[in-house]
Amino acid sequence: MSENGGALLQVEEVAKSFGGVQALRSGSFELSRGEIIAIVGANGAGKSTLIKIVAGVYRPDSGRMLVRGEPVAPRDHNVGHMRHLGIEVVYQDLAIVPNMNAPYNLFLGRIPKRFGIFVDENAMRRKTREILEDLKVTTVQSLREPISAMSGGQQQSVAIGRAIAWGREIVILDEPTAALGPTETGEVERLMHEIRDRGTAVILISHNLEQVFRLADRILVVHHGLTTPAFPRSGVTSEQLVRAITLGEQVA
Amino acid sequence: MSGPEPGPGMDASGEARSGRSEMLRNNVPYIAIVLVVLLFTIVSGDRFLSVRNWTFIAQQTPVLLLLAYAQLIVVTTGSIDISVGSSLGFSMYMAVLGMVWLGPVGIVCGILAATVIGFVNGSIFSLLKISSFVTTLAMLIIVRALLNIISDGGSIYVTEQAATGTYVDSVAAPWLLALGRFPNILIFALVVTALMWVFYEKTLFGQQLKALGGSERVLSLFGVSVTWFKIQVFVAAGFMVGLASLISLGRSGAGTPRAGEQFELDAIAAVALGGTPLTGGHGSVLRTVVGALTLTVVANGLTIAGVDPSWSRVARGVLLIIAIAISLNRRRIGVVK
Ligand SMILES: Nc1ncnc2c1ncn2[C@@H]1O[C@H](COP(=O)(O)OP(=O)(O)O)[C@@H](O)[C@H]1O
Ligand SMILES: [Mg+2]
Repeated sequence: MSENGGALLQVEEVAKSFGGVQALRSGSFELSRGEIIAIVGANGAGKSTLIKIVAGVYRPDSGRMLVRGEPVAPRDHNVGHMRHLGIEVVYQDLAIVPNMNAPYNLFLGRIPKRFGIFVDENAMRRKTREILEDLKVTTVQSLREPISAMSGGQQQSVAIGRAIAWGREIVILDEPTAALGPTETGEVERLMHEIRDRGTAVILISHNLEQVFRLADRILVVHHGLTTPAFPRSGVTSEQLVRAITLGEQVA
Repeated sequence: MSGPEPGPGMDASGEARSGRSEMLRNNVPYIAIVLVVLLFTIVSGDRFLSVRNWTFIAQQTPVLLLLAYAQLIVVTTGSIDISVGSSLGFSMYMAVLGMVWLGPVGIVCGILAATVIGFVNGSIFSLLKISSFVTTLAMLIIVRALLNIISDGGSIYVTEQAATGTYVDSVAAPWLLALGRFPNILIFALVVTALMWVFYEKTLFGQQLKALGGSERVLSLFGVSVTWFKIQVFVAAGFMVGLASLISLGRSGAGTPRAGEQFELDAIAAVALGGTPLTGGHGSVLRTVVGALTLTVVANGLTIAGVDPSWSRVARGVLLIIAIAISLNRRRIGVVK
């Protein structure tokens, strides 16, 4: 471990505007191996923008990001590099390609090839079966069908399985249980514990404060594009948290 | 639950129903060609079914088929290329001009020209973010105009024997004329078809075509370089037009300023008749073969039946509308513009 106290990820005052809209004015936080951090904030506060910067989808206009103590150079600030570093996201809308099958979606961006040009479909199907079995998804009829033929729950399993399979270091979940029932929510929370136990850090965006208190080691509030310093879950009451979310008050 | 999920009341039987309509959609091309063949057999009988006529159809289809493949590559991604007709004419002329300059190897100028046109199409579309329809419409006009300028309105002929003295606008290439005849032209088309099938169904590039037609946004979220891939798509289509230009030149025996005019429409029609939705996302090489064949057979059958060529075009236009109406996946489109 290096001098920075073992921080896996350091985000330092990153900002991002779209045209005239300041989506994120300044975002800072740190993340350690095997830690679950929750990001909370009102709609439009800048949560998704912050995690998309971490995921490499957006390059920050200013500020910087360090992974394992190494600054990410601006020209490396892209999805390919972040995925190479082991950072994966489960997007709010799942981000699946509906007309392609489950194996393709699982291997999106890293399809195994044979002879440099052919898709290695057997390897993809084998690995997909393994991943779905690990996630206890057993009702999938055919891995050759477009994923849109699967149920919403199965599609979510594929999206989460994809992030867990490739996200060695950090798995980011953007409101993963907003649309799920209690059983499925419990299943997703179990998975979060599982990957935390294997040493992967988790960033969870959630509006469900009970869930946040149940899962998070630390909590980060985003208010009008600004992050407040993250605080440990034990040091805060839910009233304080609500005030921080709505008014941007610091939690001491 | 997020993601496209069947709404309430859409139970297993509903899924089975949509499965059946899917199956029907997939088989429409086969049903259509059987009906068309039956119709012309009834109308024209022996003259339509003769070996001579089907040899003619086998000679007539390959150029259209290869243009349809070029179109299929682009349409699968949800874009369209209406410059393939101009590109074909231009490449035929460049191929024959290349042979005048360089001898037989000069024929690669045709493939090169079509590929470069594809590259320009793809670059304008992808880098300048101008819709593929507008981009390739501009190229349809520009490339045809360039062909007129370069050819100065004249033609260059491919001949069996070297011309003596007076007939300078020609080049001797008996092998090319042989390629344009049956059965060689058919064999060439079948080989390209086999390669196209492997390319479309088995390679990463082929899968990516369908995925791009499904969701470009998701591909870029996962680090797929969509900008460069979209350029490559048009380059691949251009290369296919280049292959088409070779057999087209062999068959017609001349590079002329008007070659390939309106062929883009037939190419789009063949793809649509093959059941590929113009909204992209999926498609089929084999059904595109059936689509191209259907189009050729209809034109041929109407000619044999003595229908006026203008009415024949009307019939093919109607066929195109029917084909698109059937192949359209209405769940994919909210509004029609
Ligand atoms: N790609 C974009 N283009 C323009 N504005 C955007 C874009 N992404 C986000 N925004 C704007 O930035 C603000 C923060 O958005 P977002 O990060 O999605 O918030 P949250 O996830 O906290 O709800 C919102 O006002 C949103 O409209
Ligand atoms: Mg959001």
